[in-house]
Amino acid sequence: MTREREPVVAVQGLHVRFGEVEAVAGVDLAAYAGHSTALLGRNGAGKSTTMRVLAGVVPPTAGTVVVAGHDVRASPLEVKRRVGYCPDVGGLVPRATPWEHLQLSARLRRLDGWEERARDLLERFELGDVAHRVTTGFSHGMGRRLSVVLAALHEPEVLLLDEPFDGVDPIGVEATLDVVNDARSRGACVLVSTHLRELAIEACSAVLVLRGGARVATVTAGEMAGEEGARAYRGLLD
Amino acid sequence: MPTAASWTELLRGQRRAVADVGHLLAFRAATVRRRSVTVGLVATFLGLTAGAAVLPAFATGAGSAEGYALDALLLLPSALTGFLVLAIVSAVASGGGRELLAREHAVAYPVSPTTDHLGALLLAPLNIAWLLQGWLLLGATAYAVEGRHLAAVQLGVLLWLAAATAVAQVVAWAIEAVRRTRHGIATVRTLGVLVAAVLVHLQLTGRTGAVLDALPTRRVVVGLQDGFGAAWLATVGLMLWVLLVALVLGAVPAHLAARRTPRDELRVESGTHPARALPSSVFAGLVRTDRGSVWRAVPMRRGMLVLAIGPGVVALAGDLSWSQMTILPGLVASGGALLFGINAWCLDERGGLWRESLPVPPGQVFAARTWVLTEFLLVASALTLVLAGLRAGVPSAPELTALLCTWVVVVLQVVSAAMRWSSRRPFSVDLRSARATPAPPAAMVGYSTKLAVATTLTSLVFSGLARLPSWELSIVLAAPFVLWSAVRLLHARDAWLEPVGRARVVTTVAA
Repeated sequence: MTREREPVVAVQGLHVRFGEVEAVAGVDLAAYAGHSTALLGRNGAGKSTTMRVLAGVVPPTAGTVVVAGHDVRASPLEVKRRVGYCPDVGGLVPRATPWEHLQLSARLRRLDGWEERARDLLERFELGDVAHRVTTGFSHGMGRRLSVVLAALHEPEVLLLDEPFDGVDPIGVEATLDVVNDARSRGACVLVSTHLRELAIEACSAVLVLRGGARVATVTAGEMAGEEGARAYRGLLD
Repeated sequence: MPTAASWTELLRGQRRAVADVGHLLAFRAATVRRRSVTVGLVATFLGLTAGAAVLPAFATGAGSAEGYALDALLLLPSALTGFLVLAIVSAVASGGGRELLAREHAVAYPVSPTTDHLGALLLAPLNIAWLLQGWLLLGATAYAVEGRHLAAVQLGVLLWLAAATAVAQVVAWAIEAVRRTRHGIATVRTLGVLVAAVLVHLQLTGRTGAVLDALPTRRVVVGLQDGFGAAWLATVGLMLWVLLVALVLGAVPAHLAARRTPRDELRVESGTHPARALPSSVFAGLVRTDRGSVWRAVPMRRGMLVLAIGPGVVALAGDLSWSQMTILPGLVASGGALLFGINAWCLDERGGLWRESLPVPPGQVFAARTWVLTEFLLVASALTLVLAGLRAGVPSAPELTALLCTWVVVVLQVVSAAMRWSSRRPFSVDLRSARATPAPPAAMVGYSTKLAVATTLTSLVFSGLARLPSWELSIVLAAPFVLWSAVRLLHARDAWLEPVGRARVVTTVAA
């Protein structure tokens, strides 16, 4: 196998336990540069926990997780430098403005000349007018859109979007799909977790279906499309 | 008849509202995770209350018709009034009192403002200022009155605590209802300035003593001090009547306030903050974000104002000596920590996951949060001390050293305890509302009690040292306190650095 085909995200036998609860029970996953992979599944399937592990936020209980060449357990800081993460819930500091979020991210990531890209992203997501307003009063959709902006700001090697379409209007969905396409075309590895099959197919080339904290199938986006795909997906969930 | 029908409905509604308090309490009780600890804390709370109400009666000179006991008796009417003022300020600052069920969780249920009012009343004692003042009042009463009348008088004082709290609740709801009108914020602020101006005027013209002597609380003390009898019965009856009227009356402004929008919270939520230059360092960036989370929150701003100015003004009016002032930093620091410090990671709320995904060493995040909490407590207690010191003259070297040492020691004690608890028991809370608290009621009472006991005992030690001729003693004694708190703070840091524990904290506060 050539170096280009080595996975940027490689997960083997991932287990995550919170006390008695096993949130992830043996997930294997490989995701590649220039490709986008969807994590599909019902609520509680383990999608968000897997994404949190990949972002270096939650350490794995067992298994091997390598992101951009770094083991998340051994080098979480290196992983965080290479990842852009949009969390599933909120993701925003309530009394800070979008611009202050961007400033903090830029400062911690040592970015130079980031302001123009930040302004451009805010405009694309129709958040330019509220760039200096605290996020407490934001609607759910606005919060989701800003979380995607924050994840994409530094053009990360690995873009992790957890439920980015949840409660987002069509313009926001379109802007998010653009971000995914941009990232893919510059060679980033993209993972999108969602329970919306149609959008997963539109955004990604491969689909990984999780159920009960474990992987049940990995298929191409084409196999999940249309009525046939819907039936296949339902079959995988039951 | 329509009128009869509406009265029947009104009564049915009120009965239902009262019953709902029981349901919410049961719901709250069911969510308590560590029952044995809670039982222990409640037992400690009751034990301390009983101790404060009885033990001073066995001190030398207690109940005497002369000396300190007589002084305490003469000051009791002012102390009763002071408690009422404190209860009002506390309830006003928290926008009508604490919530039995957080607003965010209550929106899906038909919780009546009457239920909310009664719940806030039940939660009012879970406040460090209320607890300390209550214990102080019980202790002073136990020392002041004759032993044979102790039970009768303390029953009356307990009834006073309840009645004063209920009256304070009525005032707080009324002010909250006004504050939520179009020019309400300006009206309430003007009212606050007027009250302060009247107090300053009384103080400057030397009429404070005369006003305090004329307070109706004097009749309460006179009615109670001779024990069970006709006067006692009349006084207790009057207080019971006040309590019941306030209980019922409070529902009216509570309903009014509930129908109006909380304007200052909305103002904060829609507030804009122009871009500033990029912070000079990573640490500065973290501190700036954390400061924003603290100083832009309504409960923190109001709480800070009350904590910093309230005890300072009381000390100023009471003309506290420098050695007595050692009690203030502990009181203010404890109160400050109870605004957010005991659950310090909740400042990020749902942004916790995003912040944790940023490439920054966790030690720096811990240092920034600890620093922001420390400076919040230092600023609040410094303001109090400046106010309290205005009339106290020039302190002697032992007095000054003791006070500074107390300040450093208690702030460190509170910070190390708060950061330990923050990692050990995180809670997901929404600090938007002025009524929000960083932890559930049972946890709040536990934390309040622990902080109150630790800081008060420490302050008393240094208060004694301030009266000794040697200033070096305070420094020598402060050293082990500082060292112990520093070690505990390092343990808290270790807990935060541990990835699994940190993930538990972050996912909990972001839930």
